[in-house]
Amino acid sequence: MPRLKSISIIGILLVLIGSSSGLYSQTTQIRGFADVMASLQKEKVSFALGEQDLFITSELSDRFSFLGESVFRFTNTTPTKFSVSIERIVIKYNVAGNHNILLGKHHTPINYWNDTYHHGRVLFPTIFRPLLFDANIIPLHTTGISLQGHNLGDMKFGYDLMVGNGIGSTDVLDNDKRKSITAAVHIKPVEGLRFGFSWYNDVITKGATAHDGMILDWTVNQNLFTGSIAYFGNKFEVLAEATAGTNKTDTTGSQHTMAAYIYAGFKIKEKIVPYLRFDNLHFGQGEIFYNKNNTTSIVTGIRYNLNYVTAVKLEYQHQHGEKEGDTDRLTMQLAIGF
Amino acid sequence: MTFQTICIRLNRKYLSILLLLFVGLNINAQDAALTAISNPKGAPATMKMSELKSIMKGEKQRWSDGTKVSIVLMKTNTATGEITCQKIYNMSGDKVKRFWLGLSFSGKADAPTFCNSLAELESIVAQTPGAIGILDRVSTGTGIKTILVDGKNSF
Repeated sequence: MPRLKSISIIGILLVLIGSSSGLYSQTTQIRGFADVMASLQKEKVSFALGEQDLFITSELSDRFSFLGESVFRFTNTTPTKFSVSIERIVIKYNVAGNHNILLGKHHTPINYWNDTYHHGRVLFPTIFRPLLFDANIIPLHTTGISLQGHNLGDMKFGYDLMVGNGIGSTDVLDNDKRKSITAAVHIKPVEGLRFGFSWYNDVITKGATAHDGMILDWTVNQNLFTGSIAYFGNKFEVLAEATAGTNKTDTTGSQHTMAAYIYAGFKIKEKIVPYLRFDNLHFGQGEIFYNKNNTTSIVTGIRYNLNYVTAVKLEYQHQHGEKEGDTDRLTMQLAIGF
Repeated sequence: MTFQTICIRLNRKYLSILLLLFVGLNINAQDAALTAISNPKGAPATMKMSELKSIMKGEKQRWSDGTKVSIVLMKTNTATGEITCQKIYNMSGDKVKRFWLGLSFSGKADAPTFCNSLAELESIVAQTPGAIGILDRVSTGTGIKTILVDGKNSF
């Protein structure tokens, strides 16, 4: 029976592709991103390779399209010291107007940064992602199915409704019967301005492996609420996002975590942007899902866009973590697109 | 007439010429008229400038008849491409390319087709149902219609 179901689904997909293709000529584009860095920390200069990101888009038919993103990066645990990861495989079907169905592995549309910048470092406003990414506060990827609409009406309303394998699952198998749910909405009332809000829910089974490799001793019911404001104008850039997370178990009750950052940039010339970013992570006293490490960080830097696919950034970061104390780092990055 | 007076007069003369040249060039760039063209299938015969700008920013996937919107532009380093960047996107050529890189990278829109020549642009628009493009003149090509923007055939 499952085999019959699979054959039926594949058959429907083939019919859909065939019926929408007509005389369509397939257009495929391959692009990429890479970055290299030099940093000064604890009186030592280090050079570092960032990520090499291969990005493919293809219009398969009038309504079907494909997007793939694969990243090659340093990993200390492999014999070659490098690993390849599939960051996104998204097959999109345009249902009608600006409404789409997306299947595959997505960057969870939980906040603006995760839904916009992906792994193209040349597009990042700062060198590194906000701390809430490193602290595994949000699920970066979801493999599943999504309904998406954008630029609807005068307010340019957009929505994402995603159902996928939850935390602890792999890209080929869910570890339990429960699915993760992401519901996100946004509006763009004026040019350059976007307000967004999202809700993420998952029930993570006891024994599952969390983002940072920790094996859970309890079944956790997780709810994440995220709000974001983004403004990228001709002179000013502001991006502020906050995620409030609640992890609830039958034995430990509810624990609340708040993670937020605010970025602000000012274009002194079209290509030169000094910027600031402030990050704050605050965990509940008895937090059992995240690695509790209350942290604050301030980043100040300058970005110079040589052209649309080349950017140089110089950045100083001061960070205070509950566990590691104060750290300072000066980093220079050259990021390119090709 | 002292040497200083001659210098001042010469400076004024050259300054005036430079000013005239600058104003002339500026008028040229800002007054260069553009025309929106489309394939007969898909785009409506008339639209507002705000609608045209929204469409050219990839905010509309399908026309009202269901045809897929395909954007065709001159390369940003061509004269028509530069004016299109200013008038439609209010951005420099580099920023327009970056804008499209970000949008296509996020999977929110398909990147436009960028052309080297006006003839190539007209040809692609004529051959692609749902295509819309920007020219620097009213087109007389076959298989192409001119879209009236705010009631005018050029803007």
